[in-house]
Amino acid sequence: MRIAVCMKAVVDPQARIELDGDGNLRQEQLRYEVNEYDLYAVEEAIRLVDANGGEVTVITLGTDGAVQGLRKGLAMGAADAIHVECDPYALDPHGVALLLAAALRDGGYDLVLTGVESDDLGGSQVGVLLAEELDYAATTLVVGTSAPADGAMQVRRELEGGEHASVEVQLPAVLTIQSGINEPRYPSLKGIMAAKRKELAEKTPADLGFAEMPARRVTALGLATPPPRELARMLEGSAEDMAAELVRILREEEKSL
Amino acid sequence: MSRSIWFVAEHQDDQLHRGAAELAGAARAIGDETVAVVCAAPGGTVPQQVAPFVDRVLVVDDPALDPYTAGLWAQAIVALAKAQEPAAILLPHAPLGRDLAPVLAARLGAGLMTDCLELEWNEGLVGTRSVLRRKLVARERVATPIALATCQRGAFAAAPPQEAGAIEAVASSLDASTVRTRFVAMERAEVGEENITEADVVVAGGRGLGDAEKFGLVQELADVLGGVMGASRPVVDQGWVAHDRQIGSSGITVRPKLYFALGISGAVQHVVGMRESDVIVAINKDPQAPIFEYAHYGIAEDLFKVVPALIEALKA
Ligand SMILES: Cc1cc2nc3c(=O)[nH]c(=O)nc-3n(C[C@H](O)[C@H](O)[C@H](O)COP(=O)(O)OP(=O)(O)OC[C@H]3O[C@@H](n4cnc5c(N)ncnc54)[C@H](O)[C@@H]3O)c2cc1C
Ligand SMILES: Nc1ncnc2c1ncn2[C@@H]1O[C@H](COP(=O)(O)O)[C@@H](O)[C@H]1O
Repeated sequence: MRIAVCMKAVVDPQARIELDGDGNLRQEQLRYEVNEYDLYAVEEAIRLVDANGGEVTVITLGTDGAVQGLRKGLAMGAADAIHVECDPYALDPHGVALLLAAALRDGGYDLVLTGVESDDLGGSQVGVLLAEELDYAATTLVVGTSAPADGAMQVRRELEGGEHASVEVQLPAVLTIQSGINEPRYPSLKGIMAAKRKELAEKTPADLGFAEMPARRVTALGLATPPPRELARMLEGSAEDMAAELVRILREEEKSL
Repeated sequence: MSRSIWFVAEHQDDQLHRGAAELAGAARAIGDETVAVVCAAPGGTVPQQVAPFVDRVLVVDDPALDPYTAGLWAQAIVALAKAQEPAAILLPHAPLGRDLAPVLAARLGAGLMTDCLELEWNEGLVGTRSVLRRKLVARERVATPIALATCQRGAFAAAPPQEAGAIEAVASSLDASTVRTRFVAMERAEVGEENITEADVVVAGGRGLGDAEKFGLVQELADVLGGVMGASRPVVDQGWVAHDRQIGSSGITVRPKLYFALGISGAVQHVVGMRESDVIVAINKDPQAPIFEYAHYGIAEDLFKVVPALIEALKA
């Protein structure tokens, strides 16, 4: 089977996040890394082809900084990689889906895997939008897959409160992959070396038939720091002082011990 | 023109989800008319349950809609929306909305904002969403004639019930041959021996504990406090503890007298499972961590320094 995996480079959520005077993200201090959910998707794709034969392609839409994610996908075991060169923040989710669909349409993929959501400005929609553009079936929040049979595969969808639904989905399909489905492997040194030598298929929006960027259906009005909420009473001092003070509060003031 | 705001009513086993009143609250605040769309409740009472929150209930009672598939629900809702042209359609940012809202967006050619915390009408539907793991908020506006949004659970005040709106049954002509997913069965995760929802003290640990071995510190503190150990999702994903310890939207909800969050950032999916606890203490080395907005007491420090000191102080 042929599987494509969408990988996005996102702002490292552990990085210190600040806005400049114009309300833009302070670029110089940002670090980027692969969206965590997408690593689960890469791992699942590799396991599926290991068990059932086939090849994995990884694809990212991003600036040059995004290709390190593709190298990681290759090092984990993907056979090839597509880089759609474009600033993802200049597009809305529909635009991202249009460009990814254009890059994947002729690839003959049986499956396209994405993460459930991107951990930056994204919002859990590119996978399903992509399925609609490609006219593929789609299932979201997938925490288990099985071997494909008769042009379909059975997957497990995670619902709320510990409930799961098993769903049969016809191929070709897009699955959005939820964390916990597997344990993403660490690339081997050999894999890393081999990945460095691989050629990436470089595509510009123009190569994909987009003379202009797709029109936005959602416009960005700006970023802000969240309005201050009632914050916890923060304790101060050395670790020992704070521990003693907390015990005193819990015993004497809250009477919860 | 009067502005009609619709929402998709979520229900299971003939029970309206309590989140529906929140969507009604969000809709009432921005529109002239509030409409609930109920897909598939053959013979059930969901339309009656949702009627007090809205002006109108549109019921598509086609047996093909039960059990849920995004494909057929989308067909039904798209046909209705094309005929009646609502200004906006809201869904919960929950498995239903994550699955269905982008299908509606694609088929209606509509812009979609997800996981909204606030909505207003200002030359179109304007939403506020939390991004970058809640360290920032983004404001967006939908630029298409029909706007779509999913709403974060708990972010909108529930609409108070009023005089029940009219219930209208709508005819459907669904084409099941185009649907490529099929519901097979529901499964429930098994529950372990120790029922942590009953405990007075829950000590929960997150990814900040680092690894399975160091996670033992969480149990140690729980033991000293006579409480039980809980966890955030990554801890369960990585197999440090069993799934029945997972607190949050895809795990369990706890409401103890005392809740400790150690090395947990405070993502909304975790917080919905513990925010009702009587006293919440958070220990996290990142002073920007959103967990401090929910905690009553906060310690912004390395937990490996604080927790051992805390254990000592408790034993003293
Ligand atoms: C559909 C869906 C459902 C989900 N359901 C759930 C759910 O049920 N429950 C759940 O928990 N999550 C759930 N999640 C995941 C959720 O979004 C977060 O990813 C998760 O809660 C983060 O867990 P965490 O806080 O342990 O890890 P992180 O977000 O990685 O945070 C770790 C924290 O530890 C702190 N830290 C690190 N080292 C130290 C130290 N030495 N001392 C003190 N602090 C330290 C860091 O500052 C950081 O804040 C769900 C996600 C999705 C998309
Ligand atoms: N720029 C991008 N490049 C590659 N994949 C992406 C991109 N944006 C989103 N995706 C994929 O779509 C998933 C959901 O993203 P989002 O809708 O932004 O939350 C991600 O986990 C990725 O798999």
